[in-house]
Amino acid sequence: MKAVAFPLLLILFAGLAAGQQVKWNYDKLAARATDSVDVNLDGSLLRLAAKFLSSGDPDQAKVRKMVEGLKGIYVKTFEFKNPGDYTPADVEGFRAQLHTSDWQRIVGVHSKEEGEDVDVYIKPDAKGIGGLAIIAAEPKELTLVNIVGPIDLDSLSELGGHFSIPELEIEKKKK
Amino acid sequence: MNLEDEIRSALRPKEPSPEFTERVLARVYGMPVRPAPRPWVRWVAALAACILLASGAMGYRQYRGERAKAQVLLAFRIAGGKLNKAQKKVQMLNAARRNNS
Repeated sequence: MKAVAFPLLLILFAGLAAGQQVKWNYDKLAARATDSVDVNLDGSLLRLAAKFLSSGDPDQAKVRKMVEGLKGIYVKTFEFKNPGDYTPADVEGFRAQLHTSDWQRIVGVHSKEEGEDVDVYIKPDAKGIGGLAIIAAEPKELTLVNIVGPIDLDSLSELGGHFSIPELEIEKKKK
Repeated sequence: MNLEDEIRSALRPKEPSPEFTERVLARVYGMPVRPAPRPWVRWVAALAACILLASGAMGYRQYRGERAKAQVLLAFRIAGGKLNKAQKKVQMLNAARRNNS
């Protein structure tokens, strides 16, 4: 009985771990985009990347510390030739997958003037934040970010300005 | 040992050496006999192959690691940039509200 139960548990946990990644379907957009950036890093690749981040360099050491706790980083950026090459329905389709009890939208910025929308979602867990998702839509660019695993926004904030990462100002709550 | 045993021992079938066929064929066709490679040559060849494979594997690991590192930094740059944009807009809206009130 135990011999059967153990592999079943492993399959169940593997399924749960895979379930933390947002399964966005990009096929329709990829066909319309002129350029795209694709970052697909699962746990094993992140562990490998962490070994190549220098611990002697303080900035890279911070990145290394953040990466070591993560289970996956998935980033997709599509660039389009003309505004309107992707529709609001496309974006809504991506948002809909985050409209579950697991995800919580913490920031939603919609600028009609500039035609820019940025939605930031977090996946709360017992220890804090268990995942991060960002949907950023600009007239000729659409970016989807999914970070799986515990992410410390303060650490991300500290990394602002390094490695060409713009400074991220997150207000710290006074204790 | 009696005569029968001696005859049996003398006539016992023996396996030819690995080079035997080559030598016979060389004689038949008048070809020069190629000397058998020395045992240490095989060991050196095996060792060289192992070193080549190991260095290839290490090189590939280095390539994958450097590529993964670059992707991590790119991902943080993109994610940080988008968060920064959202943060700035929230701050601008808050500042505008404060000025209005």
